[in-house]
Amino acid sequence: MTTARLSAVLTAAALLLQGAPAILGAAVEGKVALPKVPAPPVMNKRYGIISNNGVLSTYPPRAVVYLEGPFPKGPQPPMARMVQKDLQFDPAILPIQVGTRVEFPNLDDTYHSVFSYSPAKRFDLGRYRSDERPIPSVLFDAAGMVTLRCDIHEHMRAIILVLDSPYFVVSDPSGAYRLSGLPAGRHVLRAWVDSRTTLVKPVDLSDGAPLRADFP
Amino acid sequence: MMLVVSAVAVSILLFTLHGAQASVRADFGREFRSEVAALHAAQAVRHAALAERCRELARRPRIHAALEDGALDMLYPSTKDELADIMEPGGQGPREGAAYALRAHYYRFLDSQGRVIGPSDTRDAGALTPGEAAQLDLGRLPAAPQTGYILRDAGTESERIDEVLAMPIVSSETGQTISAIILGFSPPALSGEGAGTPALSGIWLGSYLDLPSLPEAARLALGATLSESAATSGGDHGSFDFTSAGAPYLVSFQRMNPGSLFPPAYEVSALPLSASQAHERRLVWEFVGAAAALLAAAFLASGFLSGRLSEPVKRLAVDSEENREHWHRAEAALESTSQELQRSARFSADASHQLKTPVTVLRAGLEGLLASEQLGAEAREEVADLVHQTFRLASVIEDLLLLSRMDAGRLQIQFAQVDLSQLIEGLLDDIGAQPDVFDLEIDAGIPPGLMVTGEKRYAELILQNLLENARKYNRTGGRVEVSAGREGEWVVVSVGNTGPAIPPSSQGHIFERFHRGAMGENLPGHGIGLNLARELARLHGGDVRLISSGDDWTMFEVRFRAAAP
Repeated sequence: MTTARLSAVLTAAALLLQGAPAILGAAVEGKVALPKVPAPPVMNKRYGIISNNGVLSTYPPRAVVYLEGPFPKGPQPPMARMVQKDLQFDPAILPIQVGTRVEFPNLDDTYHSVFSYSPAKRFDLGRYRSDERPIPSVLFDAAGMVTLRCDIHEHMRAIILVLDSPYFVVSDPSGAYRLSGLPAGRHVLRAWVDSRTTLVKPVDLSDGAPLRADFP
Repeated sequence: MMLVVSAVAVSILLFTLHGAQASVRADFGREFRSEVAALHAAQAVRHAALAERCRELARRPRIHAALEDGALDMLYPSTKDELADIMEPGGQGPREGAAYALRAHYYRFLDSQGRVIGPSDTRDAGALTPGEAAQLDLGRLPAAPQTGYILRDAGTESERIDEVLAMPIVSSETGQTISAIILGFSPPALSGEGAGTPALSGIWLGSYLDLPSLPEAARLALGATLSESAATSGGDHGSFDFTSAGAPYLVSFQRMNPGSLFPPAYEVSALPLSASQAHERRLVWEFVGAAAALLAAAFLASGFLSGRLSEPVKRLAVDSEENREHWHRAEAALESTSQELQRSARFSADASHQLKTPVTVLRAGLEGLLASEQLGAEAREEVADLVHQTFRLASVIEDLLLLSRMDAGRLQIQFAQVDLSQLIEGLLDDIGAQPDVFDLEIDAGIPPGLMVTGEKRYAELILQNLLENARKYNRTGGRVEVSAGREGEWVVVSVGNTGPAIPPSSQGHIFERFHRGAMGENLPGHGIGLNLARELARLHGGDVRLISSGDDWTMFEVRFRAAAP
């Protein structure tokens, strides 16, 4: 048995013991009815996030589907990444679990200055270029929606959704999603659609064939 | 017959009085309306200057973040640097006397409900009492700039009221109004001294009348009368007669912020009528006296020539009809001349606002740019040069305005005794302090105590222009010679300089406006200096002349009237 295999088995065993996300387990899939978002004005073609009457959503629209927490605290989640490339944040929306550290590498040739005034996390990384080492990163320690902006490029916008849950997935642009490795039992499934709308659906999960849950 | 004569005399008297009164009222009304129009024009300039700043503000990501991401506490810290140059240094520093200052005393943002967002630190945003801040609540966000007037709690007698301007902040992303910024300024100087009317001007806020030059009791009574008049007329303007403690006034009021979301504020102008009434009374006495003399003469004449009395009286009636006709024609001519003068006077006042304010705004913008860190050395040099150009532009505008005031006959010299010797020495000192490209030698022979009659700043302008020319149109290693002395009732100053001669063909034209000598192509100046100097000297009763030019020596002479010892 190679070392790699051994460690994989040990990791799987550890996860099973903790009752944390397992490779097996319940699954849920379905489709979220996404609102029709008007195309952004031409001058804002580069937007990954658009604002309509103060409501932020992704463009093209996508949903974040997650199992409502809280769940017992697992190990430190791995580092997530939010890059700045071609004068845009990528991805436009990034769901993470509370306690996740996110790094913000700048892959453009120009300066960026990432900051957030959101109540869930206020920070200001200042101006830096692609050669900045270590790559600036931020620990997100409270649940909530964090709007990212760049102080130099007014159009740049992204959302980090900090969740009290390790079970989440971003839907595709048609709204289809699939979440697997979930703990069986009664839960509440949520679908974040935009900054003002989160759809809710109670689900009873059991191991075996995936449950079908469509929003609404 | 006697009755006819008396009736004619009395009706002429009444007609004249009525005409005099009507013309006082018409002049006052015209003056008042043009002052309000000038005020609105100045407001428009200020709106335009600030609108651009608000567009810039609305693009700042930090402003969006503070307003849209629930971080209102970050709003003022995020705008502090952006607005530093709009604010007066030190926030509450001394208020400048400029008629319409561009620098604000304080600023506040409105939230999406149109309520004031309190600043975290009033050192940058300027201090306001809760009562003052409450007057800035608009109840909703404005779609267009709004002008308002608020009452300061602790203002001094002459600074009770501030003009505030609310500018919407429109999101560059969605086109929606996301906030508004309100800036507080000193109110415009409503002098009423515009074209010589001795009217008292002030601002009426509905609850408070700010007219410090009116006695307290009269002020309160006028405030009450204004409320009634505004309520009954129901409009934005009106005028009425008003008497307080036996002193009569003619009062006009007009709304300064029509259509504003802020409470209405009115410009109020009160013209004391006591002077014109005294004049009317004197007129009455003169007429009564004349009529009495006429009647006495008629009595005597009737005694001697009772049979032929009807003939001269008939002639008298015809004569008086003709006289009245002439008088009407003269009055109409006078009226149109006076209107013409008023128009040109108003033009130069307007032009002053319209020309000087943009230059000030331009300079402020360039200086702001200069202060920015992102500017490269080359760009910085260019911008510094542009700033320098704005000073030149301002001085050209200053000269042109002075000329236009003279052309309109509006420049009046305040004659006083001026020590010309001192003035010249001061100017020579200034010239000595300037960079000298020609390495000039300056010879001055000025006896002390040469006193002339004139106004110091204009006398200085005349001499400055001549000395500047002597320096500019010179040659390397050359000389400037200034001498002065008394010649009878004149004090004559001669300014001579080495350098190329003025060609004989040009000598007749150098005092014409915008004429520049052939050698002057590369020299700074705009060709109105000599014209200005001569016109000013003539207003002083003196003159500027070219004495000679040729053979490396050009000499000008200016003469002023010597002051009586």
